[in-house]
Amino acid sequence: MNGPADLARIGLRWDPCGQAGLTGPLLALANDCDRAFRCIASRWRSQEEAYAMTLPASSLAGHLRSFPHQVTFATALDSAEANLAEFADGPVVDKSGAVALTRTAPVTAVLTPAACYHVYHGHQGEQLPAAGYVTTRNTCFRRESDYDPLRRQWSFAMREIVCLGTAEETASFLVEARAAVDHFALLIDLPMDWTPATDPFFRPERHPGHLLQRIQPVKHEATYGGSLALGSANLHHDHFGTAFAITRDGVPASTACLAFGLERWLYALVDRHGPEPDGWPDLLAAAGQVAAR
Amino acid sequence: MRSETEIREQLRTFVRRHAGDVAITDDTALFTLRVLRSVHLPELIILLERLRGAPIDVEQLRMGDFDGIDAMMARFGVPS
Repeated sequence: MNGPADLARIGLRWDPCGQAGLTGPLLALANDCDRAFRCIASRWRSQEEAYAMTLPASSLAGHLRSFPHQVTFATALDSAEANLAEFADGPVVDKSGAVALTRTAPVTAVLTPAACYHVYHGHQGEQLPAAGYVTTRNTCFRRESDYDPLRRQWSFAMREIVCLGTAEETASFLVEARAAVDHFALLIDLPMDWTPATDPFFRPERHPGHLLQRIQPVKHEATYGGSLALGSANLHHDHFGTAFAITRDGVPASTACLAFGLERWLYALVDRHGPEPDGWPDLLAAAGQVAAR
Repeated sequence: MRSETEIREQLRTFVRRHAGDVAITDDTALFTLRVLRSVHLPELIILLERLRGAPIDVEQLRMGDFDGIDAMMARFGVPS
């Protein structure tokens, strides 16, 4: 069990609005975690890609309808001089902490909800001559009703390994990816279980995505302690290939991803191995073994 | 409540309407093989509810429930 005092002592700077700052040993552990995930990604010779923290809302219409309760928009003031003056001369922030907005510019950008979305957007229109493997990391934003340090946050770091290919290539990737995570978890003595899962769709009872996740094994989560999802393995079929005109073998590409929620790994590692850095496993050595297998 | 024969025929008609030229049998894994897709699920569930004369609790859906017409009949052919 991770107490707030223990986590603060090793570097957690928690903002109750749902965001975590990291310093000291916890930051070092986070960096090691990400290096380990990148090392695992090298198993597929994944190309590293880095993206901005926002996506065009126009590329996320399906997501916005499916998860309106989780979305965070990037907004700005209308740049008209009078509008800016009205804002600057007003209270700016009210007593509740809310910004006293004047007229806003059209909202066209969404703060990243999942790191892999950028990959599909970034590869729009490509014809893939072979399976493609990409790894990317981003800060992701998901609004929740409650927040819990390192376990459930408004903003968090997500490292992903994405496969774009044929249906067979993506299915094979997911088998290998889950086995790689199992091997890694074994080496660092972090017990976890894969379980079928569903995303928290808005109005799920008649949402096609939710229904599909209930009847087809398209999403599995690697859970620690019975409920904390440290990562997920996701099969999208040709959903993104079709949406972003990415083709492989002349048909819309199939895509799949392996996602790691970085802060949750920190929670699990500290919970399992204690708050003293001397007791933490050598993540890079373990990842090296996984990558070489 | 329709007869099993009637329900099967209506399901085959539904699948044929969405599957195009793909040949199917009652044990074709419709969603695994992408003959049907997620967008077809809400309409398919409503059709099944109408045919069996009873609602389907989507929170009770399980892996494989829609793997084919045979699987759908086994799971939803008779109201539970």
